[in-house]
Amino acid sequence: MQTVKMVISGAVNAGKTEFIKTISEIEVVSTERRATDDTKLIKKETTVAMDFGRIAVGDDLVLHLFGTPGQKRFDFMWEILSEGMLGLVILVDSTRPETFRETNRIIDFFMSYRETPYVVAANKQDRPNAWSPDELRLALRLPTHIKVLPCTANDRESVKLVLLELLDVIMQRSED
Amino acid sequence: MPLVGNIRDFGLSDFLYLVDRGYKTGCLHLSRADEMASLYFDKGKLITAIRKDDIAIVTDLLVRKGKLTPIQAAQATQAQRNDSGASVSQILVNLNLIGRDELQRVLQQHIEESVYLLFGWSEGEFRFEQGQRPELTAPILLTPVPVEHLIMEGVRRIDEWGRIKDRIPSTDMVVKFIEQPTERAKGINLAAEEWRVFARINGKDTLAEIAHKTNMSDFDVCRIVYGFLTAGLVDVLRKPAPVPMLATGRPLAEAPRIKKSLVTRIINRIRGM
Repeated sequence: MQTVKMVISGAVNAGKTEFIKTISEIEVVSTERRATDDTKLIKKETTVAMDFGRIAVGDDLVLHLFGTPGQKRFDFMWEILSEGMLGLVILVDSTRPETFRETNRIIDFFMSYRETPYVVAANKQDRPNAWSPDELRLALRLPTHIKVLPCTANDRESVKLVLLELLDVIMQRSED
Repeated sequence: MPLVGNIRDFGLSDFLYLVDRGYKTGCLHLSRADEMASLYFDKGKLITAIRKDDIAIVTDLLVRKGKLTPIQAAQATQAQRNDSGASVSQILVNLNLIGRDELQRVLQQHIEESVYLLFGWSEGEFRFEQGQRPELTAPILLTPVPVEHLIMEGVRRIDEWGRIKDRIPSTDMVVKFIEQPTERAKGINLAAEEWRVFARINGKDTLAEIAHKTNMSDFDVCRIVYGFLTAGLVDVLRKPAPVPMLATGRPLAEAPRIKKSLVTRIINRIRGM
């Protein structure tokens, strides 16, 4: 059985758990705990370990989805999770510009380890005060070759589109 | 829908960059405590800035500055009422009440100073209303001002490490020019010490090395590069770390090689979900 891994990262409350729950075939293994630091101001419970989802591609191939913990004190997990990953989805809460700097820090972190294929998903596009993908690209100062995609993490078609766009980037780097 | 936030989290220079690169037209409203300001843009360029308690009517401003008489001001205002499509600024020039260059100089100086004061705000709510335009009686520039120039001057007034470190967390970072900075650089006038730093940017030296070579402090070099960075002239990157090797001899940083056939299978699976 071959397994391949994709990592879903982003700042606290970006929608990582929801994103994986929406597409995973199994009940997401999520270690939710009552937040103990300033994240409790944002949500009562937040991901302090990781989320894990799974999509069976065939009898011999499985895609694993790992969500990273959003809090800074779990940065050490990012390095472990990034080993061997196929690609990376960076989720951004499009309604909260106060998380954009943290998002850039996360992108910098992952890119400093390896040239990983990644896309940015502008989550919560269904909210009235969401920044558009174009505005997010400028706010995050992302180069034009990086895809910034509209996303609503609780909508399966939207999540599928993000993963398919990431797979398209991976495809361009894959070998015959 | 308006873009909303706080400049504590998304600074004024960052917003000006967004307005410039996004060719935005609209108004950026800023407020903190009892202070308020409105900056109007047309296709990414500044056309006017109005602060609360400041003069918001161009003729009043020019009379106060001694550039118009009250009679001329009334004449222009009346003419504008008869020509509802034109701004009072344009009418003033059309009626030869003031020269175009003189009007531009006076208004630009006034508007820029209003904007520079805003760079001193460490926090404050912002709201950008797309498509919103100023009153035609406002001090509207006939030639809109590129924001790179405003960013550079505004950043010159920043004296806090905190804001600079958001973008330049370490002096071990390497500075490189973006691919085609020439066109953007045209609108920017550099001071002598900025030229010293500018000339040392080669895509290899770190900020610390530039500071050493120019005999400038780390803070001064970072502040100057922060200005270049915010104006979109340069990029700062982490110096590539030595690649750790696994026991097999394969570099740890190497992304896993994957076959197209496998990617195709995953794509087909997700499409079918």
